[in-house]
Amino acid sequence: MDAPSSRYPAALNRAPGIAGRRESCGETEADARNTKTHFRVCRFIMELGVKLCMRSVPVATACVLYHRFFKRASVGAYEPYLVAMSCVYLAGKVEEQHIRTRDIINVSHRYFNSGSCPLECDKEFWELRDSVVQCELLVLRQLNFHVSVEHPHKYLLHYLLSVSSLVNRHAWSRTPVAETSWALLRDCYHGDTCIRHTPQHIAIATLYLAINSYGVELPVGEKEWWQALCDDVTKEDIDTIISELLQLYDMEAKCI
Amino acid sequence: MDRDLLRHCLLYHGPSLFNTLKCEQTENPDFQELLSELDKALHESGFGEPNNPLVEQFIARKADILFSPAWKTAKVKEGDEEPEEEPYAVMPPLELFMEVSQEERRSILYRDLEKGDVVVGRISNIRDYGFFLKVVCMAGGLKRDIEDLELSALCHISEIPSHRSHDDPLSYFQINDLVRAGVKDIDRYEEKITLSLRPASLSHSWKHLKLGVITREELPVQYSRSISAASNTAETYECILGGCHGYHNPCVVDYLLDKLGVSDTQPPSMMRGLQSKLFKEEDFAAAIRKKQSTSWALKCVRAGVDHFKHGRHVEAMNEYNKALEIDTNNVEALVARGALYANKGSIMKAITDFELALENSPDHRNAKKYLCQTLVERGKQLEGQEKLVTAEGLYRRALSLDDSNPEAKEALNKITDTIQKSIRLREEALAKEPVKAKSGETSAEKLRKILKEEKRFIFLSELEYQSMYQGWCNYYCNRIIDHYTEQKYKCNTFFGSHFS
Repeated sequence: MDAPSSRYPAALNRAPGIAGRRESCGETEADARNTKTHFRVCRFIMELGVKLCMRSVPVATACVLYHRFFKRASVGAYEPYLVAMSCVYLAGKVEEQHIRTRDIINVSHRYFNSGSCPLECDKEFWELRDSVVQCELLVLRQLNFHVSVEHPHKYLLHYLLSVSSLVNRHAWSRTPVAETSWALLRDCYHGDTCIRHTPQHIAIATLYLAINSYGVELPVGEKEWWQALCDDVTKEDIDTIISELLQLYDMEAKCI
Repeated sequence: MDRDLLRHCLLYHGPSLFNTLKCEQTENPDFQELLSELDKALHESGFGEPNNPLVEQFIARKADILFSPAWKTAKVKEGDEEPEEEPYAVMPPLELFMEVSQEERRSILYRDLEKGDVVVGRISNIRDYGFFLKVVCMAGGLKRDIEDLELSALCHISEIPSHRSHDDPLSYFQINDLVRAGVKDIDRYEEKITLSLRPASLSHSWKHLKLGVITREELPVQYSRSISAASNTAETYECILGGCHGYHNPCVVDYLLDKLGVSDTQPPSMMRGLQSKLFKEEDFAAAIRKKQSTSWALKCVRAGVDHFKHGRHVEAMNEYNKALEIDTNNVEALVARGALYANKGSIMKAITDFELALENSPDHRNAKKYLCQTLVERGKQLEGQEKLVTAEGLYRRALSLDDSNPEAKEALNKITDTIQKSIRLREEALAKEPVKAKSGETSAEKLRKILKEEKRFIFLSELEYQSMYQGWCNYYCNRIIDHYTEQKYKCNTFFGSHFS
């Protein structure tokens, strides 16, 4: 849980020189660096979510808004951590779990300056608050005000109920499939899988991986259980999503 | 690590997973302990299914989290599931959509059916020892597609509670009636199911269900939906899911998480950095906010004290109120405000503030000191109003807070003397009075009337009333004095004025 060692970022624009130098290195290197940045920032969002006692769905919304924002905007032009804070604030409003800016600023400040005292009610505090609120408007405009997101969570829960009825009840209560699939679903928001696949597919893939990991055996009919749950998902889709998800776990070792 | 889970997983995946696990989990002491046991189990079984090497690597790396014994899902909560508005989408059994074969469905049903589950069936045959049911669907405990399996179950006459003692209980049933019954016994080998209509046969979660004949409307929702799904192949799982009213419940996620036993407050994660034990309490928003509020409030208090010292009482009060808005029950703000109130003369408000401050911080030196002084002042006020006993109580309290205060000590001693003296005087006066002759209305009745007028409910016995007038002696006076503490002094004044 290391924070970047830089001072608390308050500027909206970075120096243009840095961005220029990066592009000359080559496309893939820049991409790789960006992916790592996005991973770290999404980790920041997840930690914020836990410390603010946010439910899983608003945290997921915040990550989706963040990924969508940086699909179109360049990382060099906007401070990603500030965008992340605004996304959390916005997501709280969208998903009806309102978070106060004061709490967001407090937790973020402590994230970057570990063990420090809370901020005083002074100029720095009000400037930070202003940046978060202004950035929120920026995010909204970048996303054309389309901020409602359909999530895999509802699907996953209903799928879990349906699949649990196929399994012997004692075997089910011994095997933490529900918890593992929920954990996998939460973790997949570190990357942009969430915007590249439909929610049903993501739900199926996480459930598939959880069931597979524990070796739970399900009855077989004309169709596989995942075909029955969702008509248009194929084995390739599932495998793609699973491999993307597993790459995220590898990235954790490299980035953090 | 959960031994059984791990063993099951290895048997499923085969030796390649075992090798990967050995590589990745060399440092895990739990795993090393299980190593030999697992090795043996694997050799006995043969090989498992071929698998994606990436997945195996994932399992191997995260094995300590995946198989951690602390990560058990709670039992799926059963219970009242048929409220008017379904809180989530109750779906037909998945077997239906998977088109599982009859043999498979039959075998898994007999594997999983248990005593205490609830079935619904149609009566196919009535004999004199009971009736036979053709099982239509499950109504509790399992959710399976079983109508076409043509399962037959017996409900013995002894398991039917009789409505009246003479009637034949079987006369209430007719062929083709829909009946809801509890599973009493299953013979898995012979594939026989025995039913019961007694409520005692149901397991705890289904105790609220009514057994016996039911109507079509009382059939479980998942069954009625499965009928419509079976007849119409265009209705896929997804179609039905979206069409269910319960699916669109905004609280469906929280409801189902609770039902499945997954926590959203301490959310699970497979990422090493997000494990819940790594989060410290003081990093959470609520804790930081509390510390921050205290600090901001203190700033206001300091500003207020500054105003106070320069005589700007209104501004000072504003600052204190602001501080208390930021941080209610902030001790320093309360003490400062109390002092300001006391200074202005609003003694009662001051006392309230000091008491509140002491509740939160019982050892606050200034709070105690100021409260002591304020109580003494209040005591003096009460003395002026002749409420000596209340005043005495306040002086005692003040002394208990700050026993070095000379004013309090002096005041307490003075008032104790005053009270004792006046009691003695009254006693002497009363003892000297001659016995009064009984007039028309007995004096006891007169006394009772007077006392009632004064609205003092002094419950004395008849004997005591008489004795008071026949022989005033110390004993009865003291009785009155001892019984009625607050009224003590008032009683004496009353009696005194009556006889002087």
